Amino acid sequence: MKLFSSATRNWVKSFSVFLLLALTVGAAHLASAQQKVSRHYPAGKNVRLELKNIAGTITVETWARDEIRVTATMDNRKVNFNPRQTDAGLVIDIAADNRGKVDVGDMNFKIELPARSSVDLETRSGQITVSNIQGDLVRAHIWTSGDITLSGINAARVFATNTTGDIYFDGEFSSGGTYEFKSGKGNITLRLPANCGFRLVATAPTKEIKMGPFWHPGMKLVSEGRRITGDVGDGRASVTVTNYQGTINFLRR
Amino acid sequence: MNCEQYQELLSDLVDGFGSGEDRNRIESHLSGCVACAEVRDDFVAIAGYCHEHRGEYDAVPNERALWLRISNTIEAENAVRAKESVPSGASSWFRLMNRSWQLSFGQLAVAVAAIVLVVSIATVASMKQLYSGGSNVRTAGPTIGTNNISLDDRYRQQKQAIAYWKDRVELNKARWNPEMRDTFDRNMTVIDTALNDSMKQLTQNPHDPVSEDILNDALNDKVALLKEFADL
Repeated sequence: MKLFSSATRNWVKSFSVFLLLALTVGAAHLASAQQKVSRHYPAGKNVRLELKNIAGTITVETWARDEIRVTATMDNRKVNFNPRQTDAGLVIDIAADNRGKVDVGDMNFKIELPARSSVDLETRSGQITVSNIQGDLVRAHIWTSGDITLSGINAARVFATNTTGDIYFDGEFSSGGTYEFKSGKGNITLRLPANCGFRLVATAPTKEIKMGPFWHPGMKLVSEGRRITGDVGDGRASVTVTNYQGTINFLRR
Repeated sequence: MNCEQYQELLSDLVDGFGSGEDRNRIESHLSGCVACAEVRDDFVAIAGYCHEHRGEYDAVPNERALWLRISNTIEAENAVRAKESVPSGASSWFRLMNRSWQLSFGQLAVAVAAIVLVVSIATVASMKQLYSGGSNVRTAGPTIGTNNISLDDRYRQQKQAIAYWKDRVELNKARWNPEMRDTFDRNMTVIDTALNDSMKQLTQNPHDPVSEDILNDALNDKVALLKEFADL
Protein backbone atom coordinates (compact mmCIF):
# COMPACT_ATOMS: atom_id res chain seq x y z
CA MET A 1 0.00 0.00 0.00
CA LYS A 2 1.32 3.44 -0.81
CA LEU A 3 0.93 6.13 1.80
CA PHE A 4 0.95 9.08 -0.62
CA SER A 5 -0.39 9.49 -4.12
CA SER A 6 2.10 9.63 -6.99
CA ALA A 7 1.34 13.35 -7.50
CA THR A 8 2.30 14.10 -3.89
CA ARG A 9 5.46 11.99 -4.21
CA ASN A 10 6.46 13.87 -7.35
CA TRP A 11 5.86 17.17 -5.64
CA VAL A 12 8.00 16.14 -2.65
CA LYS A 13 10.77 14.95 -4.96
CA SER A 14 10.77 18.20 -6.93
CA PHE A 15 10.76 20.25 -3.78
CA SER A 16 13.68 18.24 -2.31
CA VAL A 17 15.76 18.73 -5.47
CA PHE A 18 14.96 22.44 -5.44
CA LEU A 19 15.90 22.74 -1.76
CA LEU A 20 19.20 20.92 -2.30
CA LEU A 21 20.01 23.14 -5.24
CA ALA A 22 19.17 26.29 -3.29
CA LEU A 23 21.34 25.21 -0.36
CA THR A 24 24.26 24.40 -2.66
CA VAL A 25 24.01 27.74 -4.43
CA GLY A 26 23.64 29.58 -1.11
CA ALA A 27 26.69 27.89 0.42
CA ALA A 28 28.76 28.55 -2.71
CA HIS A 29 27.73 32.21 -2.66
CA LEU A 30 28.64 32.52 1.03
CA ALA A 31 32.00 30.87 0.45
CA SER A 32 32.76 33.15 -2.47
CA ALA A 33 31.70 36.28 -0.55
CA GLN A 34 33.94 35.64 2.45
CA GLN A 35 37.67 35.26 2.27
CA LYS A 36 39.90 33.79 4.94
CA VAL A 37 43.58 34.64 5.04
CA SER A 38 46.11 33.25 7.49
CA ARG A 39 49.66 34.51 7.83
CA HIS A 40 52.58 33.75 10.15
CA TYR A 41 55.26 36.13 11.34
CA PRO A 42 58.38 35.37 13.40
CA ALA A 43 58.39 37.09 16.79
CA GLY A 44 60.57 37.35 19.86
CA LYS A 45 59.23 36.84 23.36
CA ASN A 46 58.37 40.52 23.85
CA VAL A 47 56.58 41.54 20.72
CA ARG A 48 54.15 44.41 20.13
CA LEU A 49 51.09 44.07 17.98
CA GLU A 50 49.22 47.10 16.67
CA LEU A 51 45.92 46.57 14.92
CA LYS A 52 43.58 49.25 13.67
CA ASN A 53 40.44 47.71 12.22
CA ILE A 54 37.35 49.37 10.76
CA ALA A 55 34.59 46.94 11.71
CA GLY A 56 34.49 43.36 12.93
CA THR A 57 35.67 41.28 15.85
CA ILE A 58 39.21 41.07 17.16
CA THR A 59 40.24 38.03 19.20
CA VAL A 60 43.72 37.81 20.65
CA GLU A 61 45.01 34.64 22.29
CA THR A 62 48.41 33.50 23.44
CA TRP A 63 50.36 30.39 22.56
CA ALA A 64 53.74 28.85 23.37
CA ARG A 65 55.37 29.57 19.98
CA ASP A 66 57.69 32.47 19.15
CA GLU A 67 55.57 33.60 16.24
CA ILE A 68 52.42 35.52 15.46
CA ARG A 69 49.59 33.97 13.48
CA VAL A 70 47.04 36.35 12.04
CA THR A 71 43.84 34.87 10.67
CA ALA A 72 41.54 37.36 8.98
CA THR A 73 38.08 36.64 7.67
CA MET A 74 36.81 39.40 5.44
CA ASP A 75 33.39 40.10 3.98
CA ASN A 76 34.80 42.00 1.05
CA ARG A 77 37.38 40.24 -1.11
CA LYS A 78 38.74 43.54 -2.38
CA VAL A 79 39.87 44.74 1.05
CA ASN A 80 43.57 45.58 1.29
CA PHE A 81 45.27 43.68 4.07
CA ASN A 82 48.97 44.46 4.36
CA PRO A 83 50.48 43.66 7.79
CA ARG A 84 53.79 45.44 8.24
CA GLN A 85 56.63 44.03 10.29
CA THR A 86 58.59 46.57 12.33
CA ASP A 87 61.49 46.34 14.76
CA ALA A 88 59.01 46.23 17.62
CA GLY A 89 56.58 43.73 16.11
CA LEU A 90 53.65 43.81 13.73
CA VAL A 91 51.41 46.64 12.54
CA ILE A 92 48.08 46.02 10.80
CA ASP A 93 46.22 49.17 9.78
CA ILE A 94 43.10 48.30 7.84
CA ALA A 95 41.86 51.89 8.09
CA ALA A 96 44.97 53.29 6.38
CA ASP A 97 45.28 50.43 3.89
CA ASN A 98 41.73 51.06 2.67
CA ARG A 99 41.48 54.84 2.88
CA GLY A 100 38.94 56.20 0.43
CA LYS A 101 37.17 52.86 -0.09
CA VAL A 102 33.43 53.18 0.22
CA ASP A 103 32.43 49.92 1.91
CA VAL A 104 35.08 47.69 3.38
CA GLY A 105 32.64 45.52 5.35
CA ASP A 106 33.42 43.48 8.42
CA MET A 107 36.86 42.06 8.93
CA ASN A 108 37.23 39.55 11.75
CA PHE A 109 40.64 38.87 13.20
CA LYS A 110 41.97 36.02 15.28
CA ILE A 111 45.52 36.58 16.43
CA GLU A 112 47.75 34.18 18.30
CA LEU A 113 51.01 35.44 19.77
CA PRO A 114 53.49 34.88 22.66
CA ALA A 115 52.14 35.64 26.16
CA ARG A 116 54.78 38.33 26.87
CA SER A 117 53.45 40.49 24.03
CA SER A 118 51.95 43.98 24.16
CA VAL A 119 48.79 44.59 22.19
CA ASP A 120 47.32 47.86 20.97
CA LEU A 121 43.94 47.21 19.38
CA GLU A 122 41.46 49.65 17.90
CA THR A 123 38.31 49.36 15.82
CA ARG A 124 35.46 51.65 14.85
CA SER A 125 32.93 48.97 15.77
CA GLY A 126 32.98 45.32 16.82
CA GLN A 127 34.00 43.25 19.81
CA ILE A 128 37.48 42.92 21.22
CA THR A 129 38.50 39.84 23.23
CA VAL A 130 41.99 39.45 24.68
CA SER A 131 43.12 36.48 26.78
CA ASN A 132 46.17 35.71 28.90
CA ILE A 133 48.44 38.57 27.86
CA GLN A 134 51.34 39.07 30.29
CA GLY A 135 53.19 41.86 28.46
CA ASP A 136 53.63 45.55 29.17
CA LEU A 137 50.55 47.00 27.46
CA VAL A 138 47.01 45.98 26.66
CA ARG A 139 44.99 48.68 24.93
CA ALA A 140 41.53 48.02 23.50
CA HIS A 141 39.62 50.94 22.04
CA ILE A 142 36.27 50.77 20.27
CA TRP A 143 35.19 54.10 18.81
CA THR A 144 31.49 53.23 18.81
CA SER A 145 29.72 49.98 19.77
CA GLY A 146 31.23 46.72 20.95
CA ASP A 147 32.04 44.77 24.09
CA ILE A 148 35.56 44.45 25.44
CA THR A 149 36.55 41.27 27.29
CA LEU A 150 40.00 41.08 28.81
CA SER A 151 40.69 37.88 30.76
CA GLY A 152 43.79 36.45 32.39
CA ILE A 153 45.59 39.78 31.96
CA ASN A 154 48.75 40.65 33.86
CA ALA A 155 50.08 43.80 32.21
CA ALA A 156 51.58 47.01 33.63
CA ARG A 157 49.30 49.24 31.54
CA VAL A 158 45.74 48.43 30.55
CA PHE A 159 43.37 50.80 28.73
CA ALA A 160 39.90 49.68 27.71
CA THR A 161 37.48 52.23 26.24
CA ASN A 162 34.31 52.15 24.17
CA THR A 163 31.26 54.33 23.63
CA THR A 164 28.56 51.66 23.85
CA GLY A 165 29.10 48.16 25.23
CA ASP A 166 30.23 46.27 28.30
CA ILE A 167 33.79 46.07 29.54
CA TYR A 168 34.95 43.01 31.47
CA PHE A 169 38.41 42.73 33.01
CA ASP A 170 39.67 39.65 34.80
CA GLY A 171 43.28 39.97 35.80
CA GLU A 172 45.84 41.43 38.16
CA PHE A 173 47.06 44.94 38.80
CA SER A 174 50.86 45.31 38.86
CA SER A 175 52.41 47.50 41.51
CA GLY A 176 52.96 50.94 39.92
CA GLY A 177 50.79 50.04 36.93
CA THR A 178 48.13 52.20 35.25
CA TYR A 179 44.65 50.92 34.48
CA GLU A 180 41.87 52.85 32.79
CA PHE A 181 38.41 51.62 31.90
CA LYS A 182 35.85 53.89 30.31
CA SER A 183 32.48 53.31 28.72
CA GLY A 184 29.83 55.75 27.50
CA LYS A 185 26.96 53.34 27.95
CA GLY A 186 27.59 49.87 29.31
CA ASN A 187 28.53 47.95 32.42
CA ILE A 188 32.10 47.75 33.59
CA THR A 189 33.07 44.69 35.62
CA LEU A 190 36.48 44.17 37.18
CA ARG A 191 37.28 40.75 38.63
CA LEU A 192 40.38 40.95 40.78
CA PRO A 193 42.34 38.82 43.24
CA ALA A 194 41.61 39.49 46.91
CA ASN A 195 45.13 40.74 47.67
CA CYS A 196 45.40 43.34 44.92
CA GLY A 197 46.32 46.94 45.80
CA PHE A 198 45.29 50.04 43.91
CA ARG A 199 44.36 53.71 44.17
CA LEU A 200 40.88 54.09 42.75
CA VAL A 201 38.89 56.85 41.10
CA ALA A 202 35.57 55.35 39.97
CA THR A 203 32.95 57.64 38.43
CA ALA A 204 29.40 56.72 37.44
CA PRO A 205 26.73 59.45 37.30
CA THR A 206 24.12 56.70 37.79
CA LYS A 207 25.63 56.20 41.29
CA GLU A 208 25.79 52.46 40.66
CA ILE A 209 29.30 51.69 41.83
CA LYS A 210 29.43 48.35 43.61
CA MET A 211 32.75 47.88 45.36
CA GLY A 212 31.80 44.45 46.74
CA PRO A 213 34.52 43.00 48.99
CA PHE A 214 36.89 45.85 48.15
CA TRP A 215 34.80 48.46 49.96
CA HIS A 216 36.11 49.82 53.26
CA PRO A 217 35.12 52.82 55.40
CA GLY A 218 38.25 54.75 54.40
CA MET A 219 36.91 55.22 50.91
CA LYS A 220 35.42 58.57 50.02
CA LEU A 221 32.11 59.23 48.33
CA VAL A 222 32.17 62.33 46.16
CA SER A 223 29.18 64.20 44.65
CA GLU A 224 26.51 62.17 46.41
CA GLY A 225 28.14 58.84 45.57
CA ARG A 226 28.62 59.48 41.87
CA ARG A 227 32.34 59.05 42.44
CA ILE A 228 34.29 56.82 44.83
CA THR A 229 37.94 57.45 45.59
CA GLY A 230 40.36 55.72 47.91
CA ASP A 231 43.10 53.14 48.32
CA VAL A 232 42.59 49.42 48.35
CA GLY A 233 45.46 47.39 49.84
CA ASP A 234 48.85 49.02 49.26
CA GLY A 235 47.31 51.39 46.67
CA ARG A 236 50.31 51.12 44.35
CA ALA A 237 48.47 50.69 41.06
CA SER A 238 46.45 53.58 39.65
CA VAL A 239 42.95 52.61 38.56
CA THR A 240 40.46 54.95 36.86
CA VAL A 241 37.00 53.70 35.96
CA THR A 242 34.48 55.98 34.25
CA ASN A 243 31.02 55.20 33.04
CA TYR A 244 28.56 57.79 31.69
CA GLN A 245 25.49 55.53 31.77
CA GLY A 246 25.87 52.15 33.41
CA THR A 247 27.22 50.28 36.40
CA ILE A 248 30.67 49.64 37.78
CA ASN A 249 31.15 46.31 39.58
CA PHE A 250 34.12 44.97 41.49
CA LEU A 251 34.24 41.21 41.99
CA ARG A 252 36.72 39.07 43.88
CA ARG A 253 38.26 36.13 42.08
CA MET B 1 55.80 68.33 -10.88
CA ASN B 2 55.30 65.99 -7.93
CA CYS B 3 52.38 65.84 -5.48
CA GLU B 4 54.13 68.10 -2.96
CA GLN B 5 54.54 70.85 -5.56
CA TYR B 6 50.93 70.46 -6.70
CA GLN B 7 49.70 70.67 -3.08
CA GLU B 8 51.58 73.98 -2.64
CA LEU B 9 49.47 75.43 -5.47
CA LEU B 10 46.16 74.08 -4.16
CA SER B 11 45.54 76.98 -1.79
CA ASP B 12 45.71 79.43 -4.73
CA LEU B 13 43.38 77.23 -6.73
CA VAL B 14 40.80 77.17 -3.93
CA ASP B 15 41.08 80.95 -3.49
CA GLY B 16 40.50 81.46 -7.22
CA PHE B 17 44.04 82.66 -8.03
CA GLY B 18 46.52 81.32 -10.55
CA SER B 19 46.56 81.36 -14.34
CA GLY B 20 44.14 79.36 -16.43
CA GLU B 21 46.98 77.14 -17.59
CA ASP B 22 47.99 76.39 -13.99
CA ARG B 23 44.42 75.64 -13.05
CA ASN B 24 44.01 73.21 -15.95
CA ARG B 25 47.25 71.47 -15.09
CA ILE B 26 46.29 71.11 -11.40
CA GLU B 27 42.75 69.98 -12.24
CA SER B 28 44.06 67.29 -14.56
CA HIS B 29 46.45 66.09 -11.82
CA LEU B 30 43.63 66.07 -9.24
CA SER B 31 41.44 63.94 -11.46
CA GLY B 32 44.03 61.17 -11.26
CA CYS B 33 45.47 61.63 -7.76
CA VAL B 34 43.26 60.69 -4.79
CA ALA B 35 45.71 62.05 -2.18
CA CYS B 36 45.89 65.53 -3.73
CA ALA B 37 42.11 65.52 -4.34
CA GLU B 38 41.61 64.87 -0.61
CA VAL B 39 43.90 67.78 0.27
CA ARG B 40 41.90 69.99 -2.13
CA ASP B 41 38.64 68.84 -0.44
CA ASP B 42 40.12 69.74 2.94
CA PHE B 43 41.03 73.23 1.70
CA VAL B 44 37.56 73.70 0.24
CA ALA B 45 35.94 72.57 3.52
CA ILE B 46 38.14 74.91 5.60
CA ALA B 47 37.56 77.88 3.28
CA GLY B 48 33.81 77.17 3.23
CA TYR B 49 33.65 76.94 6.99
CA CYS B 50 35.57 80.21 7.42
CA HIS B 51 33.28 82.00 4.96
CA GLU B 52 30.17 80.63 6.63
CA HIS B 53 31.27 81.54 10.13
CA ARG B 54 32.95 84.85 9.37
CA GLY B 55 32.57 87.25 12.28
CA GLU B 56 31.40 84.60 14.73
CA TYR B 57 34.71 84.12 16.48
CA ASP B 58 35.44 85.55 19.88
CA ALA B 59 37.48 88.74 19.90
CA VAL B 60 40.86 88.53 21.61
CA PRO B 61 40.32 89.74 25.20
CA ASN B 62 43.03 92.40 25.00
CA GLU B 63 44.00 92.98 21.42
CA ARG B 64 46.55 95.69 22.12
CA ALA B 65 48.36 93.56 24.71
CA LEU B 66 48.52 90.69 22.26
CA TRP B 67 50.06 92.88 19.55
CA LEU B 68 52.54 94.29 22.02
CA ARG B 69 53.59 90.78 23.01
CA ILE B 70 54.02 89.82 19.37
CA SER B 71 56.03 92.93 18.54
CA ASN B 72 58.18 92.42 21.66
CA THR B 73 58.93 88.88 20.58
CA ILE B 74 59.87 90.01 17.07
CA GLU B 75 62.05 92.81 18.44
CA ALA B 76 63.76 90.41 20.83
CA GLU B 77 64.54 88.06 17.98
CA ASN B 78 65.83 90.93 15.84
CA ALA B 79 68.03 92.12 18.71
CA VAL B 80 69.60 88.68 19.04
CA ARG B 81 70.25 88.57 15.32
CA ALA B 82 71.72 92.08 15.35
CA LYS B 83 73.97 91.23 18.29
CA GLU B 84 75.28 88.21 16.46
CA SER B 85 76.27 90.35 13.52
CA VAL B 86 77.92 93.53 14.89
CA PRO B 87 80.03 94.95 12.04
CA SER B 88 83.66 95.77 12.72
CA GLY B 89 83.29 99.47 11.86
CA ALA B 90 80.13 100.04 13.87
CA SER B 91 79.62 103.34 15.70
CA SER B 92 79.93 103.67 19.52
CA TRP B 93 76.16 104.21 19.82
CA PHE B 94 75.58 100.99 17.88
CA ARG B 95 78.02 99.12 20.12
CA LEU B 96 76.42 100.63 23.25
CA MET B 97 73.01 99.44 22.15
CA ASN B 98 74.33 95.98 21.30
CA ARG B 99 76.67 95.37 24.22
CA SER B 100 76.05 92.61 26.76
CA TRP B 101 75.38 94.19 30.16
CA GLN B 102 77.45 92.99 33.08
CA LEU B 103 76.21 94.07 36.54
CA SER B 104 78.08 94.25 39.82
CA PHE B 105 76.77 92.31 42.81
CA GLY B 106 75.18 95.46 44.30
CA GLN B 107 73.47 96.38 41.02
CA LEU B 108 72.22 92.85 40.65
CA ALA B 109 70.80 92.81 44.21
CA VAL B 110 69.01 96.11 43.64
CA ALA B 111 67.55 94.84 40.34
CA VAL B 112 66.31 91.61 41.95
CA ALA B 113 64.78 93.54 44.88
CA ALA B 114 63.00 95.86 42.45
CA ILE B 115 61.59 92.93 40.49
CA VAL B 116 60.39 91.21 43.69
CA LEU B 117 58.74 94.45 44.84
CA VAL B 118 56.92 95.00 41.54
CA VAL B 119 55.75 91.37 41.36
CA SER B 120 54.51 91.48 44.98
CA ILE B 121 52.54 94.67 44.40
CA ALA B 122 51.05 93.28 41.21
CA THR B 123 50.12 90.00 42.94
CA VAL B 124 48.49 91.74 45.91
CA ALA B 125 46.57 94.04 43.58
CA SER B 126 45.40 91.09 41.47
CA MET B 127 44.32 89.06 44.53
CA LYS B 128 42.38 92.04 45.90
CA GLN B 129 40.62 92.48 42.60
CA LEU B 130 39.90 88.75 42.40
CA TYR B 131 38.41 88.47 45.88
CA SER B 132 36.43 91.66 45.49
CA GLY B 133 34.68 90.00 42.52
CA GLY B 134 36.46 91.97 39.83
CA SER B 135 34.37 91.60 36.70
CA ASN B 136 37.29 91.36 34.27
CA VAL B 137 39.32 88.70 36.11
CA ARG B 138 39.30 85.21 34.72
CA THR B 139 41.49 82.28 35.74
CA ALA B 140 43.54 80.73 32.98
CA GLY B 141 42.89 77.07 33.83
CA PRO B 142 39.74 75.06 33.30
CA THR B 143 37.02 77.18 34.84
CA ILE B 144 33.91 75.19 34.11
CA GLY B 145 31.48 75.55 36.91
CA THR B 146 33.02 78.58 38.60
CA ASN B 147 30.30 80.70 37.06
CA ASN B 148 27.86 80.47 34.22
CA ILE B 149 29.81 82.76 31.91
CA SER B 150 32.98 80.67 31.92
CA LEU B 151 30.99 77.47 31.47
CA ASP B 152 29.19 78.88 28.46
CA ASP B 153 32.43 80.31 27.06
CA ARG B 154 34.17 76.99 27.26
CA TYR B 155 31.23 75.16 25.79
CA ARG B 156 31.01 77.68 22.93
CA GLN B 157 34.70 77.31 22.12
CA GLN B 158 34.34 73.54 21.89
CA LYS B 159 31.15 73.93 19.90
CA GLN B 160 33.08 75.74 17.17
CA ALA B 161 35.46 72.79 16.87
CA ILE B 162 32.53 70.38 16.97
CA ALA B 163 30.70 72.33 14.25
CA TYR B 164 33.77 72.18 12.01
CA TRP B 165 34.24 68.43 12.36
CA LYS B 166 30.50 67.82 12.11
CA ASP B 167 30.50 69.53 8.71
CA ARG B 168 33.35 67.28 7.62
CA VAL B 169 31.46 64.20 8.79
CA GLU B 170 28.26 65.29 7.04
CA LEU B 171 30.19 65.69 3.78
CA ASN B 172 31.23 62.03 3.87
CA LYS B 173 28.25 60.51 5.64
CA ALA B 174 26.29 59.90 2.45
CA ARG B 175 28.97 57.45 1.33
CA TRP B 176 28.73 55.29 4.47
CA ASN B 177 26.62 52.16 4.56
CA PRO B 178 23.34 52.43 6.52
CA GLU B 179 24.70 50.28 9.34
CA MET B 180 27.68 52.56 9.87
CA ARG B 181 25.47 55.66 9.81
CA ASP B 182 23.14 54.12 12.38
CA THR B 183 26.02 53.05 14.64
CA PHE B 184 27.60 56.48 14.47
CA ASP B 185 24.33 58.29 15.22
CA ARG B 186 23.48 56.02 18.16
CA ASN B 187 26.88 56.52 19.74
CA MET B 188 26.83 60.25 19.18
CA THR B 189 23.51 60.27 21.05
CA VAL B 190 25.17 58.50 23.99
CA ILE B 191 27.82 61.22 24.20
CA ASP B 192 25.26 63.99 23.74
CA THR B 193 23.18 62.55 26.57
CA ALA B 194 26.22 62.61 28.85
CA LEU B 195 26.91 66.20 27.79
CA ASN B 196 23.35 67.35 28.43
CA ASP B 197 23.14 65.54 31.78
CA SER B 198 26.37 67.09 33.04
CA MET B 199 25.31 70.55 31.81
CA LYS B 200 22.04 70.15 33.70
CA GLN B 201 23.89 69.08 36.85
CA LEU B 202 26.24 72.04 36.55
CA THR B 203 23.33 74.41 36.21
CA GLN B 204 22.01 73.12 39.53
CA ASN B 205 25.40 72.79 41.19
CA PRO B 206 28.10 74.86 39.42
CA HIS B 207 30.89 73.44 41.62
CA ASP B 208 30.19 69.76 41.11
CA PRO B 209 33.57 68.18 40.23
CA VAL B 210 32.08 64.99 38.78
CA SER B 211 29.88 66.89 36.33
CA GLU B 212 32.83 69.08 35.34
CA ASP B 213 34.93 66.02 34.58
CA ILE B 214 32.15 64.28 32.69
CA LEU B 215 31.48 67.43 30.67
CA ASN B 216 35.15 67.79 29.73
CA ASP B 217 35.47 64.08 28.94
CA ALA B 218 32.30 64.02 26.87
CA LEU B 219 33.32 67.12 24.89
CA ASN B 220 36.72 65.59 24.16
CA ASP B 221 35.09 62.26 23.24
CA LYS B 222 32.73 64.01 20.88
CA VAL B 223 35.49 65.88 19.05
CA ALA B 224 37.61 62.72 18.89
CA LEU B 225 34.75 60.63 17.49
CA LEU B 226 33.91 63.26 14.88
CA LYS B 227 37.58 63.52 13.87
CA GLU B 228 37.85 59.75 13.53
CA PHE B 229 34.78 59.54 11.33
CA ALA B 230 35.56 62.67 9.31
CA ASP B 231 38.13 60.68 7.33
CA LEU B 232 35.76 57.84 6.44
